[in-house]
Amino acid sequence: MRKLFDTGNAAITEGAILAGCSLFAGYPITPATEIAENMSRRLPRVGGYYIQAEDETAALHICIGGSLGGLKAMTATSGPGYVLYADPYGWAIGSEIPVVIVNAQRVGPVSGITGAPGQGEFYLSRYPTHGGNFETIVLAPNCAQEAFSMTVEAFSLAERFRTPVTLLADQLVTDGWESFEIPEDAEELRAAGLRVIPRYVHPGPRFYPFEDALDVPPVVLGCGLGGACSDWTPTEEGYDTEEREAQMQHAHRLIHKIRAHRHLIDRHEGYGLEDEPDIVLVSYGSPSRVVRSAVTEARRQGYSAGCIRLQSLWPFQDHLFRRNAVYLAVELNAEGQLVREIERAARRGAHFFGTCGELPSVAALLEAVRRLGEGHAPEPARWEREAW
Amino acid sequence: MDRLAKRYLRSRKIPGTTCSGCGLGQVHKKVLLAIEQLGLGTKDIVWGTGIGCAGRQIFNTWKGDNFAGTHGRVYALATGLRLALPEERKIILTAGDGDAFGIGLLHLLHCARRNLDVTVVVADNFGCQSTGGQYGCTTPRGYVTDSSPYGVREPGWLENGLDILDMLRDAGATFLARHSSFEGQSAVDSCAQAIRHKGFSLVHFIYPCVTHFGAVSLQSGDKARIFRWFEGLFRPEAGNSGDPRFRSGVYHDAGSSRPEFASSLKEWTRTVRREAAGRD
Repeated sequence: MRKLFDTGNAAITEGAILAGCSLFAGYPITPATEIAENMSRRLPRVGGYYIQAEDETAALHICIGGSLGGLKAMTATSGPGYVLYADPYGWAIGSEIPVVIVNAQRVGPVSGITGAPGQGEFYLSRYPTHGGNFETIVLAPNCAQEAFSMTVEAFSLAERFRTPVTLLADQLVTDGWESFEIPEDAEELRAAGLRVIPRYVHPGPRFYPFEDALDVPPVVLGCGLGGACSDWTPTEEGYDTEEREAQMQHAHRLIHKIRAHRHLIDRHEGYGLEDEPDIVLVSYGSPSRVVRSAVTEARRQGYSAGCIRLQSLWPFQDHLFRRNAVYLAVELNAEGQLVREIERAARRGAHFFGTCGELPSVAALLEAVRRLGEGHAPEPARWEREAW
Repeated sequence: MDRLAKRYLRSRKIPGTTCSGCGLGQVHKKVLLAIEQLGLGTKDIVWGTGIGCAGRQIFNTWKGDNFAGTHGRVYALATGLRLALPEERKIILTAGDGDAFGIGLLHLLHCARRNLDVTVVVADNFGCQSTGGQYGCTTPRGYVTDSSPYGVREPGWLENGLDILDMLRDAGATFLARHSSFEGQSAVDSCAQAIRHKGFSLVHFIYPCVTHFGAVSLQSGDKARIFRWFEGLFRPEAGNSGDPRFRSGVYHDAGSSRPEFASSLKEWTRTVRREAAGRD
């Protein structure tokens, strides 16, 4: 294993290179710019291409165009660019084109504070485009090591499921400097639990919809196989059609190819759950590291507490929220997004602790656990107490 | 079946679904004749299309590989695809006026700037006809459409001293031509030159829409009269009716004066790789 001390952005770059990425198109944006810079340096050395696009819409389209020609491709951005992906994201979902998308979330809305972390695109990553009738795959790292490994996994999932995969990171993960290790040969790769899937070419002439089958190679153009893909509802051969039956089959494919194989996507980390705690804190990304410290301290102080860290966000892991416990969602936003999904999955109310642009403190989370332990709501946010 | 259709088109898409009297089929035929003239086969070309009449009708007519992009973004898709394909493989994109000169203009200009090796065939029917006949950025000023009941109030790309081809030339396009769908061999020759050209090439075809532009803007159900009006746009001597006037033929040919984007990027990548290998 090669040991590095660098940023999460550098870890993502290394993961992409290891996974065989040979095209990166992006538009610089804090705090993901460094990924573009690193890719511009690394890619030519492995025979890949870096393109600085005119905007994010073009960036993801260029990536998809490259993937359509057989190149593994990735783009990286933050919230303001992620919304501009809506158009190509949908095209890639519908045409089933593998591509990896990194979102280093920062606080918003709109430009917000460029150098402060946020978690505002939880739902946007579930619904990154219009039209419905699809599931998305979203992974969420909380450290540089995981940023590396999840990037490798994102490429594998994109190939196997024929779909875009979002790596939903945040500014603290991408900008933070940490140690991480990179496998140097196939054996170390296997030992790290990682797998690199090569690009296979679909031979045609039937390109869609394959019900919920996994590992169907994507359409690759330029081989003269009569490949066809479009923004329209496809027939099996890729012709555009207005048949409702074809639309139903297309929707079924896009939804169930992911739902039927979700065991390959689902991942989480639990702590203290074995003793059926009364209070379970739920988080993902960088706040999960503070949550872990707070829960460790709470347990030391005698509270019945545990935590769940989601490593994959979508499809949402409903089965994790069937415990007889009080759930507290800890998020880097002030309105609560993850908490709504927990409430849906648990089929009852859940509590929320949000911060805006900065991590919560261990002390504040401990106080929230104390209040929950006494049957009160967690401490309301300061602005709620003071102004209104 | 026509010999071109037999050789190059998918039987399932023949006949097409254009309106009777539409000029789009003639535009498509010119490009196919040029492909035949160049001796190219179905495996030599990947065909992309945009949204609207031109995109939807042409999509997947090509017997080889096809793709249809999102509205106006097919140029960005082609940028990535160009890097993935062997250099000898051609990419032809057929799109409408709204796709190329409206929603997709930013990407089109950047393709021209990069001198990307693609051939863009813009099939211009003077507005948004697929959605039922609204004005667009090439609809001549003053004409009534479904969204300009009192006449188009804004200047288009093709009048008052503006010409979209000027802008594309200034942006770095290396081959530009303009024709009407009525023209014969001269239009085929321009298409052949464009396809053979290594770099960004664009052929702007103006063709009649009889169903909307003809019926509403020209207020005529008489196809011959509509055709004559369109033909007149290419006869400067036809006098000053206030309508735009065009010269047909090759508008700009800069040959190989600018490096082509994908091949130069590939060459540079090979150089970086060699140097890196030498250092390691």
